[in-house]
Parts: sequence; structure tokens; C-alpha cells
Amino acid sequence: MNGSLIVQSDKTLLLEVDHEQADACRRAIAPFAELERAPEHIHTYRITPLGLWNARAAGHDAEQVVDALVTHSRYPVPHALLVDIAETMDRYGRLRLLKHPTHGLVLESSDRPVLEEVLRSKRIQPLVGARIDDDTVAVHPSERGQIKQMLLKLGWPAEDLAGYVDGEAHPIELREDGWALRPYQRQAVDGFWHGGSGVVVLPCGAGKTLVGAGAMAEAKATTLILVTNTVSARQWKHELIKRTSLTESEIGEYSGARKEIRPVTIATYQVLTTKRKGIYPHLELFDSRDWGLVVYDEVHLLPAPVFKFTADLQARRRLGLTATLVREDGRESDVFSLIGPKRFDAPWKEIEAQGYIAPADCVEVRVSLTDGERLAYATAEAEEKYRYCATTDSKRKVTEALVRRHRGQQTLVIGQYIDQLDELGEHLGAPVIKGETTNAQREKLFDAFRAGEISVLVVSKVANFSIDLPEATVAIQVSGTFGSRQEEAQRLGRVLRPKADGHEARFYSVVARDTIDQDFAAHRQRFLAEQGYAYRIVDAHELLAADEDV
Amino acid sequence: MTMSRETDRTGAAPRTLAEELRARPDQALAALLRARPDLLSPVPGDLTQLATRAATRASVARALDRLDRFALQTAEALAVAPDPCPYDTLAALLTGDEPDDPRITDSLPRAVATLRQQALLWGPEDRLRLVRTVRDLLAPTPARPSPTGLGPTVAEATAGMSPGRLQQLLAAAGLPATHDPVTAVTALTELFEDRARLAALLRTAPAEARQVLDRLLWGPPYGTVTADPAPHLRWLLDRGLLLPTAPGAVVLPREVAMHLRAGRAHRHPEPVPPVLAPVTERSPATVDATAAGEALTALSTVEELLSDWETTGPLVLRAGGLSVRDLKRTATVLDCAEQTAAFWAELAHAAGLLASDGEVDERYAPTPAYDDWLQLPPERRWAHLATAWLATTRTPGLAGGKDAKGRTLAALGPGLDRTAAPEVRRRVLGLLASLAPGAAVPAEAVLARLAWEHPAGQESRARLARQALAEAELLGVTGRGALASPGRALLAGDDPAPALAPLLPEPLDHVLLQADLTAVAPGPLHRPLAQTLGVLADIESKGGATVYRFSPDSVRRALDAGRTAAELLAFLTEHSRTPVPQPLSYLIEDVARRHGTLRVGAAASYLRCDDEALLNELLADRRSAPLRLRRLAPTVLAAQAGPEELLTGLRAMGYAPAAESAEGNVLITRPDAHRTPPRSAPVPVQEGPPAPDATLLDAAVRAIRAGDRAATAERKPASTATTGGLPRTGSAETLATMQAAVLTGTTLWIGYVNADGAASQRVIAPVKVEGGFVTAYDHTADEVRTYPLHRITGVAELADETAS
Repeated sequence: MNGSLIVQSDKTLLLEVDHEQADACRRAIAPFAELERAPEHIHTYRITPLGLWNARAAGHDAEQVVDALVTHSRYPVPHALLVDIAETMDRYGRLRLLKHPTHGLVLESSDRPVLEEVLRSKRIQPLVGARIDDDTVAVHPSERGQIKQMLLKLGWPAEDLAGYVDGEAHPIELREDGWALRPYQRQAVDGFWHGGSGVVVLPCGAGKTLVGAGAMAEAKATTLILVTNTVSARQWKHELIKRTSLTESEIGEYSGARKEIRPVTIATYQVLTTKRKGIYPHLELFDSRDWGLVVYDEVHLLPAPVFKFTADLQARRRLGLTATLVREDGRESDVFSLIGPKRFDAPWKEIEAQGYIAPADCVEVRVSLTDGERLAYATAEAEEKYRYCATTDSKRKVTEALVRRHRGQQTLVIGQYIDQLDELGEHLGAPVIKGETTNAQREKLFDAFRAGEISVLVVSKVANFSIDLPEATVAIQVSGTFGSRQEEAQRLGRVLRPKADGHEARFYSVVARDTIDQDFAAHRQRFLAEQGYAYRIVDAHELLAADEDV
Repeated sequence: MTMSRETDRTGAAPRTLAEELRARPDQALAALLRARPDLLSPVPGDLTQLATRAATRASVARALDRLDRFALQTAEALAVAPDPCPYDTLAALLTGDEPDDPRITDSLPRAVATLRQQALLWGPEDRLRLVRTVRDLLAPTPARPSPTGLGPTVAEATAGMSPGRLQQLLAAAGLPATHDPVTAVTALTELFEDRARLAALLRTAPAEARQVLDRLLWGPPYGTVTADPAPHLRWLLDRGLLLPTAPGAVVLPREVAMHLRAGRAHRHPEPVPPVLAPVTERSPATVDATAAGEALTALSTVEELLSDWETTGPLVLRAGGLSVRDLKRTATVLDCAEQTAAFWAELAHAAGLLASDGEVDERYAPTPAYDDWLQLPPERRWAHLATAWLATTRTPGLAGGKDAKGRTLAALGPGLDRTAAPEVRRRVLGLLASLAPGAAVPAEAVLARLAWEHPAGQESRARLARQALAEAELLGVTGRGALASPGRALLAGDDPAPALAPLLPEPLDHVLLQADLTAVAPGPLHRPLAQTLGVLADIESKGGATVYRFSPDSVRRALDAGRTAAELLAFLTEHSRTPVPQPLSYLIEDVARRHGTLRVGAAASYLRCDDEALLNELLADRRSAPLRLRRLAPTVLAAQAGPEELLTGLRAMGYAPAAESAEGNVLITRPDAHRTPPRSAPVPVQEGPPAPDATLLDAAVRAIRAGDRAATAERKPASTATTGGLPRTGSAETLATMQAAVLTGTTLWIGYVNADGAASQRVIAPVKVEGGFVTAYDHTADEVRTYPLHRITGVAELADETAS
């Protein structure tokens, strides 16, 4: 009766962090349970079918899962839950996709009724070909992804053992001179490589690019890398040249500006999903070379058309990189069936504890609106309410005060509304980077910021993803995309890169009190609070008063 | 008296069931009455009556329903056997011509004894007789085959056949012609019963004819033929191997089927109960711990259900019970399936914790007993629930289904009582209890055993058993399919609480507060702590631990309940093992800061606020229009809407108004918990007579014996001439005989005329004679009675008394 784990009947697992066996327990449950919340004392994991199937894909069986629960549980584990786990896990692998020596791609079953059941489904019928024998049915090779998606929806996820094409070989080596893959990065690469395809979950700033580079060095084949935007593409290129044997001429950029196809090609989601006359002209990029590896950066942002095309790419190795499997659109199951199961996962706090990402102090600053502002807010149209309260003058003043307070430190001001950012830029005398800023201009400003020539930068949401600002120590968020949890994580990631002097990063969220802004902020913060980044809440006037005292 | 019985047993075989019963010892009679308690109401006057009653159709049907599978198979075999039937013939019917299953031979004496004990069978070993009603119920008729799948005999099937046709059959079967139908039938029967001759005949049959026979072999033995049958059918019909029962219908005669079955009455005799297997051995500690966990969950679920229903309980349907919508809602509240929700409601009802309040708008509400129950320690609370569960006839598992008339069965409503439920429940647990502690078997094994023990109505019993198993698991009587030690105590009729108490985790007095505005109670909490936290935070996850989430709404609820921010913070600090996180204290202070800023009066429905700007804001807000606010003073608004509506409206707009009393104090809103008037727990519904206890049985047997003795005693010719059956003696002789009987303790037969002038005969054992009265134990009435001497017409000693 003194285990570190409490198994709840709603399939959540509560792990007492300070318990002496907490680490052992965490290792035991990590393969099958998703870490949902990691605040300071009790971490919450959740058992989901996808999680259990991930575990099956990684070679764990129901016995191990049940054993882990029973061993570490403080109270008796509800019997119904154990039965449910065993049944769910048992569903994975009843159906297998195999390469048949004569019939090509086949779906094989060890349980005939299951095969009969899925073959009766109207959605499976068009995807399969002739019945080869009682337990085997041919599958059109082009439908390998589709059928996996459908089978998952039917609750009988198929194990894909049909293997991969090697792709066009291309020599790629890691150049570990003066640096080396961190232990968890090495584990992530190995986990992925042995699994074949799948997703690696690492926090922002934990070096996902290097995991990609490591995977490429294992594949030693031509690689297609899909990233969110051009800036991110340039950074990947920069990083690959620096860390691997690849040279500039071997790496192509396929973006709005350039259309280069080289042994290693970095493409943006945006260009791939550009639609002209009802078709996606750039999707043929996937077929333009015999790719041996496809890397998806920020899998949680993968747009729907790319999913569709990925379904046709099932014979190629696929590596997904992300900070979170949480998708605002709830398409986690497509990530599972099309990219692959989770292959590696490390919670933020653990990597922070190892010193690879900087600790951060998160502060929510509550600003009381003036009477005039409150009246205006109350009368605003519903759809204008957030914009109004997020961009009030009161907030601007507080933001300015915060920037003043951290004078001399590299500070980012992040916001959603261009007017507000322009105004802030003007008041702070700082350059503004927004959608219309050219890439050249952006790079220039980022370089200047890195070099410390400018210490304050005002950025719109274009900077949300994958830009590398190593020395930003203070981030001030003035407005956001409503309650997006994932945006909050990305923005915090801006200040989590390890600092040269090792001091703590600051992340401010300026919020208008008693308005919808406050509600959205609470929603956004929940993700981080659950990751163990506790927010402090301070009143703006206290903060300002303290400043005046100094 | 003892001797006469001895004579019966050793002397000539009994001629009737009554005679045999008379010869049985008292324990055997008691066993009969225990097994068939319906014979006891009313207590039969004598053994002849008992025997008659035991042979009535209703009583026999009931007795057959209660037989185990092998006893029933034995009875079925007897029903197709000659009457009377020697034991060896019966044994051969069950084992077949070539006995290969020693278990049948071993079990048969037990089965015969069971039938005999239940007075379904009587007679000595060489002349076993099935009670006629039993034979009628089990023997095949033209309309209904026997459960053995055997049809009527040749004699029965050929009754009514023309003599000419019979002779044709004989000729076709190769038998010599006879001079009358009776001998013809006998000849045919003898042929069919002779294995060797019939085998020889069948060897000449066409192959298709054999297939037809094989099809009818194990029953049903009926088939249809066209007016012009195919040659192979014609072959069978010609030889009487198939006999017509009606135009176009044929039957396979019993003798032929028996031949083809190699003499076996049953295809699959099941002499021994199926074993409970496969057994999964778990450590008893694991089982107990799991069960205790479930028990704790059960308690919290019942409490959650009743606390949900104590403010506004669901309405009672006019026909009784809970509406589907209310059940759905309850299931959502309890976060379980509807069937499970129905179970919890029924459990609370059976335990007397829940009842309808009996008001005009009839609603379900907790009873006052619920409040007492809440005060009990957890193990006592569980014992209360479990005891009620064990005895209840309610079957919540049927809720949501339809009754025979197609009406939906409502939870808590009528039509959910199944009288067999408690018995099945006990039996299921009893079977689990027969395993080693910690051992579990699959439900199928338990069901198979139950079906063997009670073949009659096995589907409904299986359904009850499944439900019992599921409910036992929910309630924590079993853990992981094995009976836990509290469950074992419960079944044995002991108090389960002492067994459960050490298994329950100690309640905690602290929680862990976290910066993500949650609190985790890593175990069950002390009640006051849990109650306060339940107000201050919303429960997010239940189980061994409880996760609470603080939100502005939940904090406001606590403030509404009269707490202050300082109190709340002090409470949290006291009960948290870790420091109160800054966001949480900020949340409480922030909500408290806003709480009560707006004050709503009930009297005039006003809205006042020290913050003019806020009122401006409120007035300007278009969403406040339905409340029709009007400014009364710089800090006071009046509303046309009632206070309730106003409060809701303002809250919907995101404010935190507080209701205000006439004196200007903040009203504390706490919904009143609703209670029914005192209610007692429902009594389980019983079908048929209650099981008799030892005292009753003993008395009944004695009464029957005495009545029997009165009815059958051979009387010694009275010294004076007797007229009209009543003994006649002079008053002096009567007195003398009585006094002598008191001294010697003998039993007398008296003639007695009661106050109405009705004469009767009684058998009495006089205890004392004084004042013109005799006090005696009256065997006829089975009690001690006092008779006035002048009413006694005469006395006589009983015949056997003199013999001894």
C-alpha cells in the first residue's frame, strides 16, 4: 500500500513525483501512458487506446502494462480497467500488412473473424484486392496509408511490417567535432531507427533538428524535410551544414522563393499546400526523387493535404518531430497511422533538469483597465471583445514598463495584432517583424538581435515557429491566437534555449483583468502549468510600484 | 408403535406411496418437507393426504423444476421405462448396453435417492415406481416428445390401427400372423426389443432408410411423409419401423429408437456436476485489496448518487420508477453505464437509504436512515449495503428491458423483482466460496454448474447469475472474480464489517496543492475535509485518489456558502502538505475581491454597487437588456427581473454578484437537503412458501404422524359395544383408564363431543386428570389440550400399545 502510482477508474494515472520509486514507476509506465500534466507534485498520465497501441508497436505486451500498474499502484487497480487494457492491446497486430513474395502488399490476419469483420466494412472494400486465402487479402500498394487509417478508425490498427524502400543512397555523416548528440537525442534516433517510422516528441529547444540530422546519418539516403516556414527552412539548412558532412550544394530549398531539388531538400508546408486551379502543383515534389527518408518538422501543425499525400508515401521511412502530440484539430490518430507510433518522448522538466534547456520564470501580469476602457469593452461587439481588451492602452503601458525594467536584456515582444505591434514598436523604438517583412529583412534583424546590436524586437506570430533566437532572455506576450495552448508552448520555447550565462529566462504574459483576455490566458497557460511551468500572477500596479521604488 | 413400522419395512412391499411414506423415518419426512416446502401449507392431516398432495400436478412440476440435471435425467429415463422398473433396467437405460462411464453407475444411487427423498419415486429396488404425475409430465405423448427425444411405444403408437394393417406389418417384418391385434402388437414389440433380430432386419434396409432413422434417432422422433412416400420411407412404414400418427405424420417407435441408441435413454448423460474450472489462483491479499477498493468506490458512488438526489430528486413515474431521462442523467453524474446507475439506485433503495417522498409531486429522496448511515464508519456502511444486496429480490440488470406486455421496465419501478434472485445470488457466491481463498473461475464455469444444478429455467437463472457476478464485483463482494474475505463472511451470515475494516485505507487529512490549480487527495479523505473541498473545488477524477480543480466558479461557490477568503486560505494551508501555490491564493483572493461587489436585493430586486463605473458598464452592456436594469442612484440599480433571474443573468455576463438580505447582509446560499419521511427498507418479495426451519419441520412431521396414527390406528375392540365408531365406555371406566394412562404414559383413543355437539375421534396422551378435566397431549391436534371428562364418550387403548 505504498506505491507511487494511483490508478483512477477514468484511466488516468497519478504519479507522486516525490516518492522514492517515482523514477522507476515513470520508466515503467512511460511506454504506454501519455503524460498529460506534469505540475510540481503529482503528474497525471492518461491511458488511451493510441498510447496502448504505441506500446504494442514498441514491443510491449499487455502483461507488462498490467504488471507495471499492479506493481506500482498504491491501491488495488480496478479489475475492469485491467481487462480493458488487455482487450485494447490485443486488438493491435491482429491484422498485419506484409510484403508477400508473389502477391505484393497483403493484409494478413491471425484472427479470421476480425479479417471478416473489417472486410465487410464499406470503407475497406475499395482498398483491398483479391482474397488470397482465408487469412490473407491483397492490398493495393497505393492504399497502404489509407487502409491503415481506416483500420485504426475501425479499432483494429494494423501493424505495418511491409518494410521500406531504401531510396536513393546518399552519404551523410554527423560531424561530431566539439559536440556530440546528447544522450536523449541518441536514444531518440535509435528509437526511431529501430521502429522504422514514427514520431519523436521533444520540447522546444531540446534540439529536434539534431535528431533529424542523426536519423539522416542513419539512413544515408536522400531526404525530404518538411518544415513550417522559410525561416525555419534556412535554419535547418544552416544547422545541417554545420553538424553534418553535407555541403551547401547538396541541400536544396523548396519554398515560395526558390524551387531547388537536391539530395536533401527542405520544403515548407506552405508551398506544398499552395493550391492552383484546384490542384496542388507542388505535391509532385514527393515523387521527384527516390527519397529514402521524409522528415516532418512540427508534426502537430502538419496540414491536412500533406496527410493525404503522406498516405501514399508509406513505403518510405518517415520521422515526425514535435514538441507535443496535442493537435488543436484532434487528428492525433492520423499522425499515428500515417507517420507512425510515438518512438521517443521526454518530458520538458526532465530535459530542463539535465541542463539542456533553460529554466523559465513565467509571470502573468494582470492589468486593470481604466473605467473608460471597461465601458468600451462592455459595449464592444462579441467578436471584437478579445481584440479590444488585448490591445488596450493600459496593456501597452505595462508592456513598455516591463521592457524598461529589463533594459539591457535581449527582449522579445510577441503579439497577434499588427496595429498593436506597430504602436509598441514605435513607443519602444524597436523594429517590428511581421508577415510583410521580407525574409532578407527578417534575417538581418535576427542577426542583429543575435549579435546584441538591438536588444528589443517586436514580432508577430510569424516568429512563433522554429526561429532560433539563442540569447532572448525575456519574452513578453501581449496578445495571442485566442486560447491556443500550442502557441503558448512555442512562445515559451523562444526563451528556453540555454543561456550563455545560465541565468533564468522570463516569460511575461500581459493580460487585461476581468475580461475574456484573462479567460484565454488561463486556457493557454494550462498546458504549461501542466508541464510544470508554474505561472506566478502579479498585479500590474504592484509591478509598476516596485519599479518606481527602484 | 416402533414395531409396527419395523414390520412395514421388513414385511410386504408398500402398495402405495402413502404406505411407503408411513414406513419412512421422521428425518426422511422432514427432508421431504424441506425439499418441497409447498407441501407444508397447510400442514397435511395425515400421510395419505401428504402422499396425495405430493402427487398433484402443480407440486410435482415445482419439484421437477428443482431437480439437478442428473436426477432429472434419471426421472426422464424412468418415464420411458416400464413401470415398475427394476434398478438394473434403469441403470442400463442410462449407461446403454455397454456401460462405459463408471461415473453414471456411481452417481445413479444418489439420483435415485434424491427422487425417492422428494417422493417422486417409491417402491423397492426391484420395483421402482415413478409417481404417476411425474410419468405423465415426462413421458412422451403424440403431441410432445419426451425430453429424451424418444417417441411413444409401439403399443401406444398402434392404438387405433386397423387389425388388417397390423397383420400387414407383421408380414412385412417377417413375423407369423397372429389371431388378434394384442398379440400382433406384442409380437412386433418383442421383435423391436430383440437387439439381434432387429439388427438383422435393419441390415436389409436401404441406405436412405438408415439415414432417415439416424435423423430421427435423438429426437424429435417425428417426421412427415407425403401421400405417396419414397421407396425407402415405404420400406420403413411397411415394417412398422415408422408408425403413422396422423395423416402425413410419422413417428419413430420408442423400441426402435432404443435399439438404435444402443439402449441409451440420453445422448449425453451428465452424471456429475461440471467442475469449476479453469481456476485462476490469485493471492488472497490481492483479491481482498481489490475488493476493498471496489467497496470504497461503491460507498462513494452511493453517497454521490444520494447527495445528487437530495436537492432535487428525480420524479417518480406514475407507474412507479425512474424515467429513462433521469436514469441517463444519473449515469452521467456517476460517470457509469445506465445499467450500473440503475444498480446503485436500486441498491440504495433496497438498503432503505432512498425512497419516494410520498408528496403530491412524488420525488425520490434520501431517507432519514441515510443520515444515520452517513455517520457510520465505512466498513459498517458497506456491511449495510451488502446485507441488503444479498437479500434483495430486485434485479436492476433488467431495467431498460421490456416486460411481457412490451412496457419498458423502469429502474426502481415495478416488474424488477425476481424471487429466484437471492437464491441464485447466494448459490453463485456459494460456488465461489467453495474454491480456495483467492481462486477465481470464469463466469461460464459458474453458469454451467448452475445449469446442471437447475436445468429448469436455466436461461433466466443464468441471466440472474451473470448479474449477481457483475454486481458482486461492483460492490466489492468479489475482487478480480474471487470471493473476498468480507464477502465470505457476508455469505456465511457473519458480520462482514470486521473483515473489511483492516482492508480499507486510512482516511487522510491532507491534500497536495499544485500550481495548475488542482489538488490531489492521494487517498480517501476525512469526511469534513472532503465536504469542504467538494464545495471549494470541482472533482475532476475519482478512484483511489481524488483530483480537485479550483476554478473561479468553484471558489465563488465556496464564498457563496459563507466562507471568506481568509478562511479558505487558512483551510488550504492547514490541509496541504505543501505550501499553497501562488496562483491558487491569487485566484481565491481575486475571486473574493470581486465577490460581493455587486449586491442583489430580494425585496425590490435591486442591484447596488459601490463602483459607479461598473454599473455604467452594466447598463451599457446589451446583454443586460433582458434584466431591464434602471439606475436608482449612482451606486444602485433596480431590476425588473426577479432576484434569481438577475443573479443568473449577471453571472452569465461574467460578474460575481452576491445576494443580499433585507438587512443588507450577504445571503448564504446553500440548497436545503431534502429528506423523505422515515421509511423502512423494502422487504424482499418471496414467491411460494418460505423455507421451513427445523422447529416447524419437526412440529409438522409430528403432526402428520399423529394425524396418520389417528386415521390408521388399529383399534382394540372396546370392552363394551361401540356404536357409530366412537368408543363407548362408562364414566367410571373412562376415569380409571385415564388415570392409569397418566401413570403409564400410554396413548389413548377417545371419542369426544365438542360444545357444538360434533363428535370426533382423537388420540391423546393424558398428562393429568383433575377437577373433571383431563389435560393431555393431543396427537391429532399436535398440542396439549384440556378436555372436560363429561364430553368424552369413551376411551380405548391403541392396538399397538397393547402389543408392546
